[in-house]
Amino acid sequence: MPEIIIETKEVSKLFGGLTAVNLVNLVIPKYSIYSIIGPNGAGKTTLFNCISGFYTPENGEILYFGESIHGSATDFIASIGISRTYQNIRLFSNLTAVENIMVGQHTKLKTNWMDAILHTPRFSRENKKSRSEAIRLLGFVGLTNFGDFLACNLPYGLQRRLEIGRALANEPQLLLLDEPTAGMNPQETHEMIKLIRQLRDELKISIILIEHDMRVVMDISDQISVLDYGKKIAEGTPKEIQANPRVIEAYLGPGGAALAKKYQARRRKNA
Amino acid sequence: MAGLTAGIFIALFDLILNFLIQSGTDIRQYLSALSFESMDYFLLNLGQMGTLVHLGLYTATGLAGSALAVFLRSDSVQHGWQNLKSNISTFITRTIENLPPFLQKYGKYLLYLILLATLLILPTRWGSYLNFVIGLVGLYTIPGIGLNIIVGLSGQLVLGFAAFFAMGAFSVGLLNAPEPHNLMWGFWPAIIVAILMAVAAAVVLGLPTMRLRGDYLAIVTLGFGEITRILLKSDTLINLTGGPRGILDIHGPTLFGKPFTDVYYVYLIFLGVAVSIFLYNRLQDSRTGRAWLAIKEDPIAAQATGVNLQKYKLLALCIGAAFAGLVGGISAARNQFTGPNDHTLMASINVLSLVIVGGVNSIPGIILGAFALKGLPEILREVQNYRQLAFGALLIVMMLMRPEGLWPSSRPLIEKGDRSQIEESKTDKGGTDA
Repeated sequence: MPEIIIETKEVSKLFGGLTAVNLVNLVIPKYSIYSIIGPNGAGKTTLFNCISGFYTPENGEILYFGESIHGSATDFIASIGISRTYQNIRLFSNLTAVENIMVGQHTKLKTNWMDAILHTPRFSRENKKSRSEAIRLLGFVGLTNFGDFLACNLPYGLQRRLEIGRALANEPQLLLLDEPTAGMNPQETHEMIKLIRQLRDELKISIILIEHDMRVVMDISDQISVLDYGKKIAEGTPKEIQANPRVIEAYLGPGGAALAKKYQARRRKNA
Repeated sequence: MAGLTAGIFIALFDLILNFLIQSGTDIRQYLSALSFESMDYFLLNLGQMGTLVHLGLYTATGLAGSALAVFLRSDSVQHGWQNLKSNISTFITRTIENLPPFLQKYGKYLLYLILLATLLILPTRWGSYLNFVIGLVGLYTIPGIGLNIIVGLSGQLVLGFAAFFAMGAFSVGLLNAPEPHNLMWGFWPAIIVAILMAVAAAVVLGLPTMRLRGDYLAIVTLGFGEITRILLKSDTLINLTGGPRGILDIHGPTLFGKPFTDVYYVYLIFLGVAVSIFLYNRLQDSRTGRAWLAIKEDPIAAQATGVNLQKYKLLALCIGAAFAGLVGGISAARNQFTGPNDHTLMASINVLSLVIVGGVNSIPGIILGAFALKGLPEILREVQNYRQLAFGALLIVMMLMRPEGLWPSSRPLIEKGDRSQIEESKTDKGGTDA
């Protein structure tokens, strides 16, 4: 049994009368790429927001390395090693790329405002280190030489990568990626898949992924969960999910599974 | 560098004025001869039509301003301006290259030394009126920088800044005046108490309100400022603070037993400005400063990267308030008086507008803004009837030409790489991204 990095136990989140996330149980092993898929409005991002502390779930518990982080503040959750990116890119747009990453290092740095005023040796040492570290990270996500660009002036694909770089800056154990390949062309998507694999294999980060591009999901996921109307309707390896009639019905509507079978059979016949 | 340029500007301006005064020309005489009544009498002796003429003049200057802006924005003028700029910069670099190596290495410090000497000598030479004006500009620059930490760096719109002035002013007043308590602690301990009181007020205000955002924060802090002023004015605290009458005869600072003259006050204010510029620059390029900027850009993302919003917003408010407390204390001692009416909403708005007019996050901009909004009106007091006219035209020109302030900030580049290489890789990437 591999070590478990994060576990949600019967997590529910309500918005007024709407149950956005309904009694969801997830168990995510360490060093895995775990995907959460589902139609629009299924509660995937809400679940992310619960894990990263933006929302406090009404019911259930979230365990990080076996300890409850239920109701903790967002900045505390960031400081214990859970980072995330956003569906709509949320960079600090009027800061340069390097500065964005240096803000990301916030929890790893120790100097306070007094050090900054007095320029203590600790401050200059840390400042130099954080700068070179930020430039190294920029290189890792493929933004070498873009350090001086304002984040808002970067092309879209690089903004996505910069956001991942910022999330990596606090040396996370767990990375939540919310649609990292949204709006990318096939070439960029391919590069993004490579980067995500690299994160897991080289940096030993566990990854939870929300993604709509099925080719990406089926390509890189170790495990997949499917949400529909806030409920988990299926869980398993990519193969199992592809064959699961409930998943197909969630995407195509009732009767979709039979329809899909028919099409698959016809395709096989034609081939 | 920013401080240096700003200092040179001030020095230059004062040299010109000083020269005019030295050469026996009394500007004020000319300016007062230009009063609206005399103009009205000589040019537009139209009796009841006067108001209409005013309106016409306003419109005309507004139109003239926009025409000027359109002219300045036209291609040929812009082109010429760019040429001029590049010519000047090549001239400067060439001069620096041709300097002897000794000057190349230490020239910067030499310039600072010259600036320092100028700033030390000028106040003794240019008379008490200019000392008063320059002191006023300085006294608005310090809280301008303080408010810029709150508004420009951490992005919190705080409108009750005058409350922190009041804290500083009344601390110095109560501790160092014969009425109403006759404590007479001396100025120096009192100014420290003034700063601490302002910070304490910031904590009291900040703890509950720093959860608010944008407009809500602006309204609550505005209310705080007004409550402070009305409390000071009311009879509730009349035994403690002297009520609407204010505090009279506040004793100024002494140095080795000698009381401060206006020259020393100017030195003190210069020192304050220098310290605040120093603090601002140090804080800006640090973990704290970047956390503030992140909060300003996107508080939610900042918190998710681990920035404790409450703590950093409160820190910004406290540091900004400390600057205001200092200035409140100095100006109370300088005017030898403080009263509730010194700390109206208008004082807060003045500080905010000088930051915005000058340029957010730009030290020379703030000094320029303080000068434009506080120094110029003081010098042009005799022609204040025309101030509004000029202001209208200036606003239009500014909106069109300088929407980010008179001297907008240019954020420092951190990674010094080969720019040409960056451009290349950008065009490379651009192909695949498009």
